[in-house]
Amino acid sequence: MRPSSWLIVTATVALTAVATGCRREGPGVAAPATAEGPRRGGQVIIGQPTDVSTLNEYQSAGDSTEYAIIDLMFPTLMVEQPDYQLHPPSFAPRLATSWEFSQDNRILTFHLRDDAVWTDGVPVTAEDVRFTFTVQKDRQIGSPGLEFKDFISTVEVVDPHTVRFHFTRVYPYQLMDANDGHIVPAHAWGKVPFDRWRTTDFEPIMVSSGPFRLASHNPNQTLILERNPTYWGQPRPYLDRLVFRVVPELSSLTNQLMAGELDLIQGIPPREAQRLRGDPDIEIVEFPSRKWGFVAWNNRDPLFADRRVRRALTLGINRKAAVDAVYHGFARPAVGPVLSSMWAFNRNLPQLPYDLAQAAGLLAEAGWRRRDSDGALVRNGRPFVFDLAYPATNTLRAELAVLIQADLARLGITVRPLQMEFTAFVAATETGEFDALLWVWEEGTRVDLTGVWSSPSETAGSNNFIAYSNPEVDRLISASREEPDYTRSKVIFDRIQEIIVEDQPVTFLYEANEIVGINRRIRGADINAVGVYFNLEEWYWGQ
Amino acid sequence: MLRWLLRRIGAGLVMVWLVATATFALVSAAPGDITQRLNDVRTPPAARERWRRDFGLDRPWGVRYISWLGDAVTGDLGYSWLHHRKVAGVLAQAIPNTILLAGLGLLLEIAGGITLAVVQLRRPHGKGDRAITLLSLTAYALPPFVVGLGLLYLLAFRFPLFPPSHMLSVAGETQHGLPRLLDLLHHLVLPVVAIGIAGMGGVARYLRGSLLDEKGQQYVLAARARGASERRALISHALPNALLPLITMVGMSLPFLVSGSLVIEVVFSWPGMGQTMYDAALARDVPLLLGGTVLATIAVVAGNLLADLAYAIADPRVRL
Repeated sequence: MRPSSWLIVTATVALTAVATGCRREGPGVAAPATAEGPRRGGQVIIGQPTDVSTLNEYQSAGDSTEYAIIDLMFPTLMVEQPDYQLHPPSFAPRLATSWEFSQDNRILTFHLRDDAVWTDGVPVTAEDVRFTFTVQKDRQIGSPGLEFKDFISTVEVVDPHTVRFHFTRVYPYQLMDANDGHIVPAHAWGKVPFDRWRTTDFEPIMVSSGPFRLASHNPNQTLILERNPTYWGQPRPYLDRLVFRVVPELSSLTNQLMAGELDLIQGIPPREAQRLRGDPDIEIVEFPSRKWGFVAWNNRDPLFADRRVRRALTLGINRKAAVDAVYHGFARPAVGPVLSSMWAFNRNLPQLPYDLAQAAGLLAEAGWRRRDSDGALVRNGRPFVFDLAYPATNTLRAELAVLIQADLARLGITVRPLQMEFTAFVAATETGEFDALLWVWEEGTRVDLTGVWSSPSETAGSNNFIAYSNPEVDRLISASREEPDYTRSKVIFDRIQEIIVEDQPVTFLYEANEIVGINRRIRGADINAVGVYFNLEEWYWGQ
Repeated sequence: MLRWLLRRIGAGLVMVWLVATATFALVSAAPGDITQRLNDVRTPPAARERWRRDFGLDRPWGVRYISWLGDAVTGDLGYSWLHHRKVAGVLAQAIPNTILLAGLGLLLEIAGGITLAVVQLRRPHGKGDRAITLLSLTAYALPPFVVGLGLLYLLAFRFPLFPPSHMLSVAGETQHGLPRLLDLLHHLVLPVVAIGIAGMGGVARYLRGSLLDEKGQQYVLAARARGASERRALISHALPNALLPLITMVGMSLPFLVSGSLVIEVVFSWPGMGQTMYDAALARDVPLLLGGTVLATIAVVAGNLLADLAYAIADPRVRL
């Protein structure tokens, strides 16, 4: 700030010295201390950049912060465990106490707790599970997760505490698909006709059944959850309240955490994390997220159709240096299409080196020559020039774009970094009108390569927006989806990863770490890759 | 007068319709739609198609435009796609917050600007005058977010006298009556000052010029000849006449009361129209965008109309 503006600021101090009595709240109003162990009471104030748009999962676009809050209010049949590094995720009981498959594996029976109730005292029963299924499958409601239920034909109520899922086929992720989505109250929300769900505000008819329930919501300001006194699960939360505060400005989030206005923030940008590291009151928790970033080459574009060219582009980008420079050590170079933290990751995959000579050789093989006059790479008289798009709000990707531009310039390639408004950026993937993009996917805990790597079909859209197509990969992906034994499907996944790395349809850049900043006085928090609030029931305020 | 008024209102309505239509055309032409919010690797593009059908985005734009216009004429602004509530309800929640913040900011801006200009003209071209000119030009040139961030750093974090953001503290959210009001006032100080400072300089510069003009007029000389003090001649005689151009300035600022300042609202986490409309634009929430734009346009038209009326009342030379 220039000296002149400090004058203004000083003048302001004089003008506004008529302050009201100031007081700052402590981080939590904790109950009196007991001798040892966890204490009940207090609140945790969580800062996040946007407000929830709904607390009804089936209206939601699947935003992860929104989902995390919904997860505290509504139960699932089972709780997914953070063990996907070793094998497909296992499950622990939640609303269901036990479950079993029929002989032919087509019928999955869940036995529900008999003491679970909604916040209005009505029992949670098999009827709620069946109602939730009809909601999930309804085309008018149009839940984004509708396809997860593709192979479940019916959900049958056997008795109030027994429910059967009927599958049309046997496949590895039957449990996960049955469990997908939170159970919603049939008696309260069943009164809203399905064609009215899109335009209904569910907050006034909020009935939930999680460890926390809605206390108040002041849009774009504060969402308060309080401990649900009718909660039936174990353990019961120690905390009285969770307060979610909307702070749209990212550096303000960090500042307010440091000032004690907030107790927890997540999704911290690496540079801000560096700043937080020096603060003795804040603990930085870092864990591998399931986000990975890559350069998406438009495989339809003649420029990128040749896999030798794509491989050369990868070899010509110093990925490790770029990732280290931009992420300050909070990300690792990515290798292939399966995250390195997943059970299905092929540990023998080679990380392509940074090798300009080899890159130049491959480009020459593909018919590209350096022009004598200016050193530009040309083929048939046309120079190698393309736009590299990234979303306007993302400074990290802007930095990556510039580093990639500098790296590829050494090969005579002209990269034009192109900043795009976020929604237009996403729309470009749908229309296919782009050269190259800096894109990020956040993977689920299921390993399914269909959406991104199978050839896009002629009729339906696909998340394979780069239009990568390899018949061998298509065949193997189909096989991997049919194979119920994960040790056998691992062999198939290993082979798919080898082929995709060979083809380099994209340049794999990084796997990002999730960075969470939390007040050190909060104890008992097990923040892991399943979610920040994984064991929120066990959090409490220390001395 | 009545004919003039009717003509102005008629023209205003046409203006509102034109702006709404232009907004509709712009949003329709912009790449992407609400379904881009579905941006998850697990969500198949079929989900986007379902949303398009739900929101009526599969219909031709002409049909969508006519259907929106038909509802809007009857006062129905439809449902917000982002918030799953009536547009009118979303706006009704955001507008009072913005009017409160922007209104107080505007008040501070005008009061501060007038005070500065009068102080300056006690001794025109003196040291004080020049110092204030420098300060007000600086304030005028500073982007509001710089002022906002400066205030935050100094008065919220370095010397924590004021809360850095939001309308209420967490405790204030559940309070009522006087404690809640005091909490609100406490939270208002920094954003109001940020808005006020940025505008104050402009008002002071504007007013100093017209005040200097008036001061040289013969009626001011006559007042002093009749024995009025320097101060009285300036404040009671010159100032009212110098304030006339200010009416236009205030009229032009009226839309600001409704549309808000995005930057200040973001910096101070203030849940007003600026943030609401920004989110709507990002999500391509067409009904909310149109509703907000219609309202802002009405404010522009009404502001101009009121300014003209006020002029006619304040200055007998002006006839409508």
